[in-house]
Parts: sequence; C-alpha cells; structure tokens
Amino acid sequence: MVNSASNRISQFLVYALLLVFSAVFIIPLFLTVSNSLSPFFSLPTFFPQGFHIENYKLATTMIDFWKFTQNSIIICVISVTTTTLSSGLVGYAFSRIQAPGKKFLFMIVLSTMMLPGIVTQIPTFILFHKYGLLNTFYPWLIWGIGGSPFFIFLYRQFFSAIPKELEEAARIDGCSIFRTYWNIFLPLSLPVMATVSIMSFQWSWGDFIGPFMFLNEAKYPLATALSTIGYVQPENAAVVIQQLAAAASILFMLPVILLFFIGQRFLIEGVVTSGVKG
Amino acid sequence: MNTPALSATVKEKSTTRKGLSEKTRRTTAFYLMISPWFIVFLIFGLYPLLYGLYLSFTNFVGFNINNLKIVGFKNYVNVFQDSDAMYSLGRTLYVSIIYVPISTAIGLLLALLLNRKIRGVGIYRTIFYLPSIVPVVSIGLMFRFLYADQDGILNNILKFLHLPTVNWLDYDHATFSLIIMMLWGAGAGILINLAGLKGISKDLYEAASIDGASTFRQFMRITAPLMTPVIFFNVIMGIINALQIYIQPILLTGTKLLDSPIRPNYFYTVHAFQQIFAYQRYAYGMALLWIMFIVILMMTIIVFTTSKYWVYYETDQEG
Repeated sequence: MVNSASNRISQFLVYALLLVFSAVFIIPLFLTVSNSLSPFFSLPTFFPQGFHIENYKLATTMIDFWKFTQNSIIICVISVTTTTLSSGLVGYAFSRIQAPGKKFLFMIVLSTMMLPGIVTQIPTFILFHKYGLLNTFYPWLIWGIGGSPFFIFLYRQFFSAIPKELEEAARIDGCSIFRTYWNIFLPLSLPVMATVSIMSFQWSWGDFIGPFMFLNEAKYPLATALSTIGYVQPENAAVVIQQLAAAASILFMLPVILLFFIGQRFLIEGVVTSGVKG
Repeated sequence: MNTPALSATVKEKSTTRKGLSEKTRRTTAFYLMISPWFIVFLIFGLYPLLYGLYLSFTNFVGFNINNLKIVGFKNYVNVFQDSDAMYSLGRTLYVSIIYVPISTAIGLLLALLLNRKIRGVGIYRTIFYLPSIVPVVSIGLMFRFLYADQDGILNNILKFLHLPTVNWLDYDHATFSLIIMMLWGAGAGILINLAGLKGISKDLYEAASIDGASTFRQFMRITAPLMTPVIFFNVIMGIINALQIYIQPILLTGTKLLDSPIRPNYFYTVHAFQQIFAYQRYAYGMALLWIMFIVILMMTIIVFTTSKYWVYYETDQEG
C-alpha cells in the first residue's frame, strides 16, 4: 500500500519534470516556427501571425539553397563514413591491445581533444594555402581518415566495458586480432557506431567556421551560407528578413532532427550490453 | 594428405609462432590499427600545431610570412600585460565554473528520467536532445526573439504578469542570458549518459531491491558509482568546450561573425580572434591561443589526477 502510493507520487514527479523540461526545450523552437510563418517584418509573437507557408519557398529560392545543400551533403558523406570507421579501429586498438607506447599515444589523443580547434586552424590555413589544398574537399577526407579524438575516446570507453573473456575465447578459437575486432567487437559496437555517425553528421552539418576558412562561397555548405550570406533585402543589405532566416533555419535543422528521431531507439537501446550478456 | 605427422608439424609451428611473437604481433597490430589516426595527426595536427607555436615567437602580422623575425617570448609577456586578455580569461573561467557543473547535472538528471518506464519515451528523448542538434546559428536567432528588450517573448510574458521588464542583453544580464542559452543545449549529454545507464546490469538493482535497498540507496550505491566514468567524460568535455566559447556570445550580442560582443561576454577566444582578424596580430593571437591550450591542459590534468579517487571502472584498465 505505502509502497504503491509512494510509487505513484514518484511517477507523478517524473512526468511533471518531463513536462516542465519539455516545455522549456520546445518553446524557442516553437517561436522560430511561429516567426517563420509570420509576414515579413512583423514583431515576433508566440503564435504565428497568419500562415505564410510561401516563406519556405522563398527561403529556398532567394539564395542558392539547393547548391549549398549539395555541398553540405558532400562534406557530410565524406566525413561521416571515414570518421566512423577510422575512429572505431583506433578506439579498439587503444582499449584492447597491449603495446609499448600506448599510454603515451593515448595521452596525445586526449590532448588533441583539448586542443582549441583554432590553435591549429590558422597555421593549417597558411599551410593549405601553400600546398594548394584550399577550396577543395580533400581536407575533409584527410581529417576523416584521421578520425576524431572525441569518437576515439567514446569507442574506447565502450570497448573497455566489454569483458576480457570474449576476446580470450576468440583468441583460443584462433581469431587474429583484426578478425576479433571486425567479427566480434565491431558488430557489438553497432549502437556506438550509430551514435558516432549521427554525432559526426550533426557536427559536419552544423560546422560553419571550418568551411568559412577553407572554402570559397561557391563551395560553402548550408551552415556557412546561412550564417554569412543570409536573407537580406535586395535594396538594403543591412536589413535581414528574419522570417526567411527563421524558415531557412527550420529547413536546415530538419534532416538532423529526422535522422535523430529515426535513429534514437536503435541508438540508445544499445546492443553493447545485451550482446555481451547474451 | 592430412597425415598425422604433417598436422603435428603445422600445429607445432603455429604454436611456436604464437608463443614467441605474441608480443610483437600485438604491437604490430596496435600500430597498424592506429596508423590512420597517427599519420594524419603527425602531418595535419602536430605539424600545424608546432608551426603555430613557432609563429607565436615571431613578428608575423599576416603578410610577412617570408620575412619573419624571432622575437622570443615578447608575445607571451604581452599576454600577461594585456588587461583585455586577463579580463576575458577571468570571464571565461567564471562562466565555465558555473556552466560545467550545472550542464553535467542536467544531462544526468534528464537521462535518469528517461531511463524509467515512461510512456512516449522516444518523444521526450527527441525533445531533450533536440536543442543540442540545432545548429548554433539558429540558436542565436531563436534566443534573440526570446530576449529582445522591446517585444521580446520573455518581456511580453513579464508584462502579461504585470512584472517589470528586464533588458536581458544589457551589461548586467548578458552573461546570465548567455549561460541560460548554453544550458538549453545541456541535453547533449543524455545520449552518452543513457548509454551508460543502460549498461548497468539490471541484476544489481534486482539484488538490491530484494535486500530492501531504497531507490535513493540504490542510486547512491549502484547508479552513481557505475556512472562515474561517464560523468568524468562529460566533465572533461564540458571544461574543454566551455573554455573555448566563441560563437555563442557573438550570435547573441553581436551582429557579424568577427564581431565583438558586449563587455561581460567578451571571452578569451573572442579576444584572440579580434587580435588576429581585426588587428592582424597573428603572432600575438597564436600566443594567446597557446596560453589557452595550456590552461585547458592544466585543468584537464587536474581532473584526471583526481579521477582515480572518484572514478570507478568495472574492468581493470590494463596498460
């Protein structure tokens, strides 16, 4: 009796907290949608003033929206595939294989994670300028192959939680180190892989400072285009049409939101533990 | 074909190979597997890094790349005599000290809520995680609608409640407003937190509840210790990101990409960018950034050193 009453109270508290947090998190997004449907130069209000769906059409035609989207997709495909595969391999090596120098090398991985991106970006820019790599997508291929210290660390944490017995069993059955990784650890890490792919997609989709520095306008991805070109009145470049900017930013976030919504169940109901236990 | 003698030799051979060179084999595999990262790191990470370090000891001002002069520690000495640099470093540390613990706690709290049996969990997950996937450019725009002095949404609510309105983006409130905007993205940690929570074996909780342990006790004795590696990871990432705050204050209180935000939100990285791009002091800017790197490194080393007292690993970390 007492137990079920306290259970009900705690359940009530959980739902109350969930609702409060949901409201807080959703309001700014809702405001952006409202604003994107309002007439030009109206003051932002909570509910949309009218239903100007044509703002969305204008947002994609006023600037070279689809061209920028195409650039975003190129950058994302290159980055996501290379980063996800490469980081997994490196993360596995750091979590599972003994070798001299490992500790030291792992400290380097962590230090590069702590490195403010801009410390290398300016010298990289100067060097790319020297070697003619500016305004190409090659840098994203190279950076992708190098993996990302964040994801290497993430993979390593996940692989470290898998019991040693699994590996020893594979070893006794005559699996090579690489096969152990490819046939046993990699399939187990599918949820991590999904997490890493989605995160690296988000990251490369949203990054605008990198492309801003290394590419010129024709090759800008959407993020850079939206934050530098923007929606200004043709006759006065100082006046931003906020309603169009809002519509464009909604379109811009849509793929990321959809991807997360589709992937999240798979993402979190990890096979990591069930795979190990089963 | 498969004579016993032959198979015996093969077997013998393979065991000796395994026995003798197990260590070498492991080492080779390790270095092969990390080589994609390691090679790219050397050429596209370390080299630019050291090149930048070299530039920080020169008089590089953007156009004299073929005619550099070494000026010793002059740029570094200047950093400590630059009141703007010291001011912005102070502001950055101040914001980090507030932001990191709160965002870590919110991330964990949200994950704990989502880890319970609740209806429509997928929708809540998406809502909580949504802010952290919204591109920062859009976030700046959103919060300007919210904070605007005239007809901003927050002030409209205050007016509706007959309360005095607040200029959210003025000198006194700008940092507070910025921290709120950043905390809006605190759901970023739930993915990692949830994965961590799911990784805790249900058997532990079953055993504990059979023994009559309360929910609170279960949290303190099972969840909290087993989550310390995840919390550790989130704290480290929080520190690293908070100390590099650059674009958020500009989007909230500035107009252009290389703009300078309001004074209380004038953070260290902003100062470095201003020095580099607005004043063409490349070498000095590199010195500023190198000092930031050292500060971040020191703070992380501190967290790492203390981690052995509070981070609990289930499997021993061999090596």
